[in-house]
Amino acid sequence: MQISTEELTDGITKVALDGRLDIAGAAAVDLKMNVVAGSAQKLLIDLQNVTFLGSMGLRSIVLPARAVHSRGGKVVLFAPGEMVESVLKTSGIDAMLPIHHDLAAAIAALQ
Amino acid sequence: MPSFMSGEAAAKSEPRLTIQSRLEDLALLWSWVESIAEEHAAPAQTRFAIHLCLEEALSNIVRHGYGGQPGRPIDVEFSSAPGELVFTVEDEAPAFDPLAYSGRDQDPVPPAGDSIPLGGQGIRLMRKFAGSLGYTRLVNGNRLTLRFPMVP
Repeated sequence: MQISTEELTDGITKVALDGRLDIAGAAAVDLKMNVVAGSAQKLLIDLQNVTFLGSMGLRSIVLPARAVHSRGGKVVLFAPGEMVESVLKTSGIDAMLPIHHDLAAAIAALQ
Repeated sequence: MPSFMSGEAAAKSEPRLTIQSRLEDLALLWSWVESIAEEHAAPAQTRFAIHLCLEEALSNIVRHGYGGQPGRPIDVEFSSAPGELVFTVEDEAPAFDPLAYSGRDQDPVPPAGDSIPLGGQGIRLMRKFAGSLGYTRLVNGNRLTLRFPMVP
């Protein structure tokens, strides 16, 4: 599991996850996710290279997102694959963390 | 692996996996499921569903069934039926029917003003991604049977 961050325009932080967000993957990214969420105000979580997502992985997305929300910030999820998106929708977290497949739309939703 | 087995038989995936009740040991699931999925040419969606449901089932046993106690056994057995792959998970934990469990207590009250749901996701995901789920109370444990159709 790999995690990388990038500052986009307009104060948007992109965090890209790459690999399997299973129990081991979740443990591997939690610390970095929490650090990023500790300062980001507009957070785009890029899921396009996430090949697996379980409920422990969901926590690795939801808990940092809560931290950003609690400061009045915004979080969007970008480009999950079909099965990963199905997990997000089954869990209902897409109601609070909008899913976008178009980068321009994802960035617009963070404004 | 007994030496008299032919090369073909030796290549077959093991039908049973026994792990200890530690979250770290769940990592053993991945390669075991992959070898079975490979052997049965399971579609990618079926493969994803099996990984997802077994991870949820076993992490539930570790965290709730055994209450975080390490070193207790969890057996996963695989069998194939026409058009489906079947996994049976057995533990020696106190009676615990995940199908009757709402799981709400997994997640304390979320912070005010933020209603992102988190509790009870494991069972919700299993219901959605497994073809069917069955629970049996054993004399000294629990059995969960998960069936996955080979076509979505």
